Amino acid sequence: MKSSIRNLAAGAALIGALATAGLPAQAQDKVSVEWWYANTGRIAEAIEQLIADFNASQDKYTVVGVHKGNYEETMAAAVSAYRVKQQPAMLQAAERGFLTMQKSRAVVPVSKLMADQGYDIDWKGFIAPVAGFYIVDDAPAALPFNSSTPIFWYDADEFKAAGFDKPADTWQELEKQLYALKDKGVTDCSMALANDFFWSLIENYSAINDYPFGTRANGLKGLDTEFVYNTTPVVGQVERLKRWIDDGVLQIAGQGLSPTQLFTSGTCATYVASTAAHAAVEAGAEFNWSATIMPHEEGVDPRNSTIGGAAIWVMKGKSKDEMAATAAFLDFVAQPQTQVWWSETTGYVPVTKAAYEEMKTEGYFKEHPTREIALRQLSRGTPTDNSWGFRFGNHNQTTAILVEELQAVWTGQKTAQEALDTAVERGNAILRQYEKLHARD
Amino acid sequence: MVERNIGLTVFCHALLLLGGALVFIPLYFVFVAGSLTMQELHQVPFPLLPGGHFLDNVTEAWNAGNFSRLYLNSLIVTVGIVVGKIAISLLAAFAITYFRFPFRMTVFWLIFVSLMLPVEVRIIPTYEAVADVASPVRWLLGALGLSGSIESLTGYSIETSLHWNLVNTYSGLILPLIASASATFLFRQFFLTVPDELCEAARIDGAGPIKFFFDILLPLAKSNIAALAIILFIYGWNQYLWPLLFTTDKDMATAILGLKLLVPSQDSDPTWNLAMSGALFVMLPPTAVILVMQRWFTKGLVDAGK
Amino acid sequence: MPATRSLSRWGAPLGAPLSLPGFLRRRWLTPSEAGLKASHFRRPVYAAWLVAPQLLILLFFFFIPSGKALSLAFVQVDPFGGTTMFVGLDNFTDLLASAAYRDSAVMTFWFVLGQSAATLLLAGLLAFATDHVLRGRFVYKNVILLPYAVAPAISGVIWAFLFNTAVGPVSGFLHGLGLPWDPNLRTQDALILVTVATVWKHICYDYIFMVAALLAVPQSLREAAAIDGAGPVRRFLTISIPLMMPTIFFLIVMNFVYGMFETFAIIDAITRGGPAGATTTLVYKVYQDGFVQLNLGASAAESVILMVISIAFTVLQFRAVENKVSYQV
Repeated sequence: MKSSIRNLAAGAALIGALATAGLPAQAQDKVSVEWWYANTGRIAEAIEQLIADFNASQDKYTVVGVHKGNYEETMAAAVSAYRVKQQPAMLQAAERGFLTMQKSRAVVPVSKLMADQGYDIDWKGFIAPVAGFYIVDDAPAALPFNSSTPIFWYDADEFKAAGFDKPADTWQELEKQLYALKDKGVTDCSMALANDFFWSLIENYSAINDYPFGTRANGLKGLDTEFVYNTTPVVGQVERLKRWIDDGVLQIAGQGLSPTQLFTSGTCATYVASTAAHAAVEAGAEFNWSATIMPHEEGVDPRNSTIGGAAIWVMKGKSKDEMAATAAFLDFVAQPQTQVWWSETTGYVPVTKAAYEEMKTEGYFKEHPTREIALRQLSRGTPTDNSWGFRFGNHNQTTAILVEELQAVWTGQKTAQEALDTAVERGNAILRQYEKLHARD
Repeated sequence: MVERNIGLTVFCHALLLLGGALVFIPLYFVFVAGSLTMQELHQVPFPLLPGGHFLDNVTEAWNAGNFSRLYLNSLIVTVGIVVGKIAISLLAAFAITYFRFPFRMTVFWLIFVSLMLPVEVRIIPTYEAVADVASPVRWLLGALGLSGSIESLTGYSIETSLHWNLVNTYSGLILPLIASASATFLFRQFFLTVPDELCEAARIDGAGPIKFFFDILLPLAKSNIAALAIILFIYGWNQYLWPLLFTTDKDMATAILGLKLLVPSQDSDPTWNLAMSGALFVMLPPTAVILVMQRWFTKGLVDAGK
Repeated sequence: MPATRSLSRWGAPLGAPLSLPGFLRRRWLTPSEAGLKASHFRRPVYAAWLVAPQLLILLFFFFIPSGKALSLAFVQVDPFGGTTMFVGLDNFTDLLASAAYRDSAVMTFWFVLGQSAATLLLAGLLAFATDHVLRGRFVYKNVILLPYAVAPAISGVIWAFLFNTAVGPVSGFLHGLGLPWDPNLRTQDALILVTVATVWKHICYDYIFMVAALLAVPQSLREAAAIDGAGPVRRFLTISIPLMMPTIFFLIVMNFVYGMFETFAIIDAITRGGPAGATTTLVYKVYQDGFVQLNLGASAAESVILMVISIAFTVLQFRAVENKVSYQV
């Protein structure tokens, strides 16, 4: 017994020695900066490839990519690291957290960084909705990186079997088609509900049909914005979705299953989701799939859709060398060739008009027509106040509230109007809190 | 038992079989999922029998996640946590039950209250604590006005030199997790059941508390230590949030972090087969620990036959 | 041989003034004896050294960080720390006024109670059965302990998949029986699923400790009872369980801690707190608000409330149960 205690103690001492030894430092000639990103899978591979290409293209700087979990976990990690002055140089944050990042006093606006470092980038070259989201005072606060927009995916085989050439342009006609698909026995499930349906079916619905989601140009013109989506046809949209769920036309994937799988496995005939689903659909779907632009309301002249995705933010408090390295990397990312490569590999949209033009001239869209749908949708017409973008404080909190209230509609506990009224009320409370907190900014 | 009660025995076997089956079914499905290819996963209804790709998936998952290094990290961290927790909890529980000193119950409650605050809410400040362990000390010295005198005496500036950063180290992953009270509570409960006569006899023999602890208490506590070691090993092995936040270096991540990376998200191919096979081999060390520590249980039976 | 001191008196902190009337003085001034062995040492220095490691680690890695975290309950703060606004008790009043929070509190109460009782009973049954059978103990024990080895992140995913309305095998089975199973649309289904998953994961914990405790029950007592004619079930109920009470009390408290604090990973994987907040326990709300939404002020306030509730419950449990626990044979 005593000897095993001694062994335990020896083991503990050994572990203690190992533990405090830490890791040997690596000799660094080049300036090294970290970029914390949140994507996984194929996109993460592409990110690592991008970083490797940059590192190979010059020999002064090294970028190290670190995956810190999903968007929320990455944000939480960055917050903790920042508080102890160990933040990375670059952080990928979702568009929903734009105001949180921008007003945090922990970031250096990208435009300022590039100007300080002597790079001359044409910030007017961004596609309009992208610019709308990220431009503050004529210059971007962050570099848009992986941007996408929702498009309408469908199973061409099943549509043909039901007698339709392609999905309809309006929600009303589409409803008839979806019901026909089910009634004719072509499929049991006409549409799969994506996990980010609040983005594609509510926010983008408002933007495309030119309904205000909130006042003050959806928050772009001031912090005193208020939600108003409970007074627009969004109510009708929610009622429509509820109808479809009740009739088994629309299927909720639930946890443990990606909704994309419902589509790619052929279970559901249509799917409203980001254009970035190209990677999954191309790899997984074994039927004739296609995509088209999002439907709009009858009698409405459709506007552009808005973006989702994330951007690269530059954090404050790093040394001059690290800032130079960061600027060099961001310049690399913003080059049209990089944008073209990134978009072709991942399915995200190229954020600059130059990159879009280049992809057109190389004939990429002739070979992959569905890839252009997102871009056509994003550049359609001139954006209005309701379709430039969204800029709400603590938007991730207000979105969570909206989703919770909508779930109460799906379970039949509330009507659409009640749920949206409560969501607006709770959301406005958060907006007012945010306004008060940042009143002196 | 003492007599033969066939009916009850059969019932017990049935109960255990049912319980075992219910407990095992989800794991069976993990195995099935881990043995299919990605395309086969999509079948509706889900296949009930395993496919033939289990070893392929395991190899692919292992290489994709760089698991050799991660395994080593997890092992070191977990063993550190087990040893550390058991050691300090034994000492603290011994003190609380066998020593009479002022604020004894206060100490117990102070230790116990550490169970009452969820990890998620304190994890960000704990990160600050791990990244800058000495900051309270610096603050204290500053508040007491001592930092100036220390600086003039020794030439060391407290503000700049007293920095201890545990991020990306093994200690950083081990120390914050040793701090909890469940082990202390368990040992306290156990020590309270130990007959007083043993302590009396030891004192009569002139043994001090330390001798009593090592020679008498510890041997009695073996089966509790074994049970706790199993629980703590698994607890330490399965940690997710702490290693996620406290390591930025890919080579310092743990096996669970690697496993989480294998779990497909919205962006990636639904390679659930890799994730499920990964789940199984990540489960191996804890399972091995369960199997091995069982023997200590039976040993306890032999020793404790009062 | 000194008599075993009764442990039924609840110890109270020292230091009450002597001016108190007699009955209070008896309660407050007598040094606390709860949980103190009758035969003990009086060496405060030794004791100090023994508790020092745990207290020091707790100080640096629990008390100070928790203090920082909880101090945020009185402010509204930007996550990066750049802007802070003192709001007094507003975070607390907002919480208590919110219907969602109150519903969550009620749900948590029933959930913790339900899963604690279910886990204890099922584990007790299995432990009794394991103790009773002579053959196959090793196999049974190891199989039943397996779920504990599964990472919480993965076990949540497995359950979500098995019971998924669209593709889950068990879900298909339930639909085949004619049950309209759908945790996305029916809150009771979501609640049942979450309870079953958390109980599944935690049965092994209770089971392993009960088996260990049963092993420690002296054979002699059981044989004596058998001679007196008590059957195995009776022996279990009248002899083993009372002797196991210290362990059972430990498990009641630990089940409570588990249900209150450690279930969020499973809930996150299975239902994300939905639908419409039906499976959002208090701790899940803390996780959502503090970690995911980075609403540090609200989550700190929720944690304070959570902490107060838990401490109150634990004190109650100690009072109610420990009185009846006899630690000596």
